[in-house]
Amino acid sequence: MNLVILPVLLPLVTAVTLLFWGRPSPARRVLAATSAAAQLTVALALLARTLEAGWLVLPVGAWSARLGIVLVADPLAAVMVGLSSFTALAAVLYGFAEFRTALEHPLRLTLVQFLVAGINLAFLTGDLFNLFVAFEVMLIASYALLTLEADDWDVKQAFPYLAVNLTGSTLFLCAAGFAYRLFGTLNFADLAARAAAQPEDPRVIALALWLLVVFGLKAGLFPLYYWLPNSYPILPAPLAALFSGMLTKVGVYVLLRTFGTVLPHGLTGVHTLLAWLAGATMILGVLGALSRNFIRGILSYHILSQIGFMVLAIGLFTELAFAASIFYIIHHIIVKSSLFLIGGTAALLSRTDNLDRMGNLWRHAPGLGVLFLLQALSLAGLPPLSGFWGKYAILVVGLEQGEYVLVALAIVASILTLVSMLKIWNAAFWADAPEPAATQQDPRGRWMNRVTTGMVLVSLAVGLGAEGVFRVAQQAAARARDQAGYLRAVHAVVTKDAPDRP
Amino acid sequence: MSLETALLIGVLFGCATWLVLHHSFVKILFGFVLLSNAANLFLLSMSGSPDGREAPIAGQTAGPLVDPLPQALILTAIVIGFGVTAYLVILLYRLFLDQKTTNAAELFAEQDTSERT
Amino acid sequence: MNGPRSYLFDRLVRVVFFLLNGVALYLLLRGHNLPGGGFIAGLASAISLILLSLALGGEAMRRVVRGDPVLLAGAGLLLALGTGAAPLLAGRPFLEHFHVHLSGVPLLGEVHAGTPLLFDTGVYLLVVGITSKLVFVLTQSTRGLRALVAAEERRYSSPLESPIDEAAAREGENHRESAHEP
Repeated sequence: MNLVILPVLLPLVTAVTLLFWGRPSPARRVLAATSAAAQLTVALALLARTLEAGWLVLPVGAWSARLGIVLVADPLAAVMVGLSSFTALAAVLYGFAEFRTALEHPLRLTLVQFLVAGINLAFLTGDLFNLFVAFEVMLIASYALLTLEADDWDVKQAFPYLAVNLTGSTLFLCAAGFAYRLFGTLNFADLAARAAAQPEDPRVIALALWLLVVFGLKAGLFPLYYWLPNSYPILPAPLAALFSGMLTKVGVYVLLRTFGTVLPHGLTGVHTLLAWLAGATMILGVLGALSRNFIRGILSYHILSQIGFMVLAIGLFTELAFAASIFYIIHHIIVKSSLFLIGGTAALLSRTDNLDRMGNLWRHAPGLGVLFLLQALSLAGLPPLSGFWGKYAILVVGLEQGEYVLVALAIVASILTLVSMLKIWNAAFWADAPEPAATQQDPRGRWMNRVTTGMVLVSLAVGLGAEGVFRVAQQAAARARDQAGYLRAVHAVVTKDAPDRP
Repeated sequence: MSLETALLIGVLFGCATWLVLHHSFVKILFGFVLLSNAANLFLLSMSGSPDGREAPIAGQTAGPLVDPLPQALILTAIVIGFGVTAYLVILLYRLFLDQKTTNAAELFAEQDTSERT
Repeated sequence: MNGPRSYLFDRLVRVVFFLLNGVALYLLLRGHNLPGGGFIAGLASAISLILLSLALGGEAMRRVVRGDPVLLAGAGLLLALGTGAAPLLAGRPFLEHFHVHLSGVPLLGEVHAGTPLLFDTGVYLLVVGITSKLVFVLTQSTRGLRALVAAEERRYSSPLESPIDEAAAREGENHRESAHEP
């Protein structure tokens, strides 16, 4: 039961310890890496336990859900916690390769741990207001990280990010208040039970739309995504990998959670709206990617396009669609984070991020080229890489539902993804560099490649072992949509106040 | 009572939005402060007890009690708003030092987002 | 501190400082079942520190809160987390709290003490630390004074921004070039 708190507690304790430690040193790095590895182990243990038991519920302070806050781990939450721990571990290790200890920013590791604590709390919470708190912990850490190592130009880009997220948080707060007024509770399980009792109430639809705006903003859904492609490229490569892997996916996870677990399943109109918004995001995101001319910019726009695929699956709203969405999230987080890391290495070797001035990397760093090619093709969706299975499942569901236009949009978006990936490949790896001596060897590149190789291997394993992963995703989807089971699990837990509910 | 509260919340949100849409850093800052206050007032106004539902309080309750939950929520929201506002102040101050302007429009005037440096 | 000081303000703050901290302690102790608690007590203490720095300059605040306030905040967070995590060792849920109720204590009569007080103390330290650091940095930097001492600078700022040693400076130049465009 108490395993559920560890993914939040461990990063927090690590963060404070690192803060006290102060100056970067090799031993401090060992501590950070050990903690990240321990978090990954805990997350895997949590996943194993939830796959077996379904739900693990922790009543915080031993108060029941009526009075207190509960943390709930189901397979979906456990998968997400595992992914965040994995990405954080990779980002931390890559950061070690990027800087000598003397050059590391002393607060970076601390803030990364705070960020991970917030992300994990968002996954594990079973309460709408606690979700708000988790978002804020995560966002404040992300604001700090965004401006931590920023120069003048970068700081300018942090301002729209802050303004947009501040507005989003205010809307979220109001939505929580609205939900409390409507149902008299903020607990997910009770919200679900009470919302199911009044499915035709227009106020429930209003709440659903309200939450859609809030979480769509966090996830980067059309038409609320303009803050993302300009703010992510200012981050250093490992942090960009962590942000692009996890932050928007928290938004997608919360959409899965609210529409699957909390709100009634009969809101067909809202689901259709979600699917079409996702379709628009898919196309506009990939068009934005084609228009950019530096690697991190292209990759940032791709996040949007991929978010479209995941949200499209949520909008289609069958159980298989949910499973496809979860599989896609698993695939996407690993591939996208590793692509940002590869982009960082390429920028280090070419000493620039601008495609016009890059070139010839294939000759200087063939290993990097192979890694990039694997992940780029996976992102575009070529079999047997992991992206293919995710897209295949989503397209199958789309065809079953008869959403031919959306399926066509998804296929067009995939082809354009391939085109923009080939744009990076041609300019950075294949073509001759405009200035011959631009590319240089760098000993740091080798260590970076090792970290990235680890991620690529996991990604390949997801693609080749797609059947097993998909089975996990199916189980996660089934549990995430089982509102009655969720309610039973939350209320079955032993607490110290009398179980006085009907 | 509820009509006045609703009007006040509406006015606060309106003023906050109006201020946030300005170019001046100071007005933007005040806009966000006002916005979080409007949201807190909105939360408070949600705290009535419609449909005779009982407040989440442990043990026996003697007589009707005000629902404490929205107040706890507001307290949390104030704490978070305090932290974020402090960050916003520092960020705006640094932007002012870097760019020598307090005008958000000037800040992004000649930006070409496709080029980094 | 620039400009002339007000004698009245100066004397007043010296008294109010202790008064406010007394109030803070009172709020902290009664906070379990009555209005009060760690956050509000922390704010009261922080206000006393802010008044002090307004009246006597930022250095006066440093004389009261020795060392780095952020570490105070870290200790507070650790204390709060530790109080929350202690029940885990006994296999109880996170954040569960326990009480002792003593009656007949000399001077105080009935005492109701519990682990929430420890948690509140953690919150108190956290709020005092963060708020005083924030105000200190903001007042110092808007007056154009150094906001961080050398030890803190090593702790909080990037070595690339303010090189500590020559080697780091050279590395920093190299890195800047490689991270951005030449």
